[in-house]
Amino acid sequence: MSRADLVTLGGKMDGVQVIYAEQPVEPGSAAERRAERQVGASFVGAGLAALAFMVVYVAWPWEVDTAGGGVGLATLYTPLLGLLMALALTLIGVGVVLWAKKLMPYEVAVQERHEGASPEIERQTTAATLVDVGNATGIARRTLVKRSLGFGGLMLGLMAVFPLGGLIKKPGTALSETPWEEGMPLLGLNGLPIRPADMRPGSLQTVFPAVEGGSRSADGVAMLIRLLPNQVADYRAREGQEDFHWNDFVAYSKICTHAGCPVSLYEQETARILCPCHQSQFVATDGAKSIFGPATRSLPQLAIEVDGDGYFVAKGDFTEPIGPAYWERST
Amino acid sequence: MTGFARLRKRASSGLALAIALVAVGIGYSVAAPNSSAQDAGLSVEAMAGQEIYENGCITCHGRNLQGVEDQGPSLIGVGEASVYFQVGTGRMPLVQQEAQAQRKTPAYDDAQVNQLMAYIQANGGGPQLPSEGDLRDGDLAEGGELFRLNCASCHNFVGRGGALSSGKNAPSLNESSDLDLYTAMLSGPQNMPVFGDNQLSPEDKRAVINYVQTLKETADPGGANIGRAGPVPEGLVVWVVGIVGCVIACLWVGTRS
Repeated sequence: MSRADLVTLGGKMDGVQVIYAEQPVEPGSAAERRAERQVGASFVGAGLAALAFMVVYVAWPWEVDTAGGGVGLATLYTPLLGLLMALALTLIGVGVVLWAKKLMPYEVAVQERHEGASPEIERQTTAATLVDVGNATGIARRTLVKRSLGFGGLMLGLMAVFPLGGLIKKPGTALSETPWEEGMPLLGLNGLPIRPADMRPGSLQTVFPAVEGGSRSADGVAMLIRLLPNQVADYRAREGQEDFHWNDFVAYSKICTHAGCPVSLYEQETARILCPCHQSQFVATDGAKSIFGPATRSLPQLAIEVDGDGYFVAKGDFTEPIGPAYWERST
Repeated sequence: MTGFARLRKRASSGLALAIALVAVGIGYSVAAPNSSAQDAGLSVEAMAGQEIYENGCITCHGRNLQGVEDQGPSLIGVGEASVYFQVGTGRMPLVQQEAQAQRKTPAYDDAQVNQLMAYIQANGGGPQLPSEGDLRDGDLAEGGELFRLNCASCHNFVGRGGALSSGKNAPSLNESSDLDLYTAMLSGPQNMPVFGDNQLSPEDKRAVINYVQTLKETADPGGANIGRAGPVPEGLVVWVVGIVGCVIACLWVGTRS
């Protein structure tokens, strides 16, 4: 049998029949040669672009001269790499598409559907074989082997999941307590304590608790704000927190009560503290009450006073958990 | 007493009254507090500044710099640094009352700004311009840390500015000169918090300025910076331009099949 006959026979055995076939171009025609040249040009172009990519990668000057304002060949380094890689990938794709559309034969074939299930005889013999293999291993009779295998398998499975247990941890007081305590100095980023005279009215300073690594404290970070003289008269503390401020100074947690972003966009004229993440707004003269946005609770206020040496110290920890709400939060 | 004598007595008492009134009037005008009494002792430059003030600023800031309710704040004690920033960047005088003064072409030249600075400084003092020296003479890395802690929340981490509440915004720092940045930190214009010299020392301020200006001069080795605003606009461009381009390509391929 010729190859064509064998192909047809194979199709018949699978129930496949070609009902329409067409060559897009006449073999040996000028159109075929043109199509071949197009496909070939695409693939060669892709290769050249990839080659150029490697040449640029090695040879192009890449160190940006920041002092010179950053003009020069080096600024083109990354864009050139990107362009050449894109060109190579695109040309490969164009070549494949052209090949398929212009040179490959177009044909329509149909395949007969057959029954979903296997014939009855095959089903029965397969089931019998499986049961026979099971009996041959004797697993049903040898209870020692069966049980010990069950035990070993179970423990192996447990071993795989066991380390996940280490990820489950009771937070304890980590969520409700911060490093602040009575008499702890408020430090600036430079690690120095702050005197009232250091800050002019209308200023804000981020302050950290005076503990080891305090300037990286994620929950203790607070904002010390000095109100403008005309805002002092308007100042209203939250109930039970009337003595938390010191003259015209107030201190609030810097962590938003909505999603825990740092809120330090301070508008000194309106005394509003804004959160950059979801546009919540708090009023510094009103106990950092939330007046806009998704945050519903006020920023926790840090009670402050000035110690005998004239530096700001905390009068204790925040009286409520800082930051966003969580499952066990009581208020 | 004859009628003539009565007449003469009346005339003389009338004359005495007139003389007394004139005397009191002169005496009052000499002794009374004069509204321009504070002008005494102003330098020539400050007096020139006062003249500019009374033409251009007095409507909103008041006759004695005391401010006008709902128009403009008091300027007593704001210092020359504030004047330099507000007038030198064209923010003042305002064109109209709005959420926030915008940077525009300055209305006064440098000499006039200096005169205004002298006038304001002479009334209540306040923060002054930094002494001579390179305003970028500071540690770059430290400046970056200070910028990210104190400035980046409003002005964006590369100084491109950002929105605040009710139409206000933190402006981009792109056009700001070294001295603009310095005086802004020192004076806390409008809603920007004040960063006094005890909070952010002159060295710290120079470090921050060095960082901001270095950022502006840094090249973008990755090509188009798309506002330098980070992964969000970059992702947006990829989605809008990239995905739409792919969809159009798919449609084109479909129409050709």
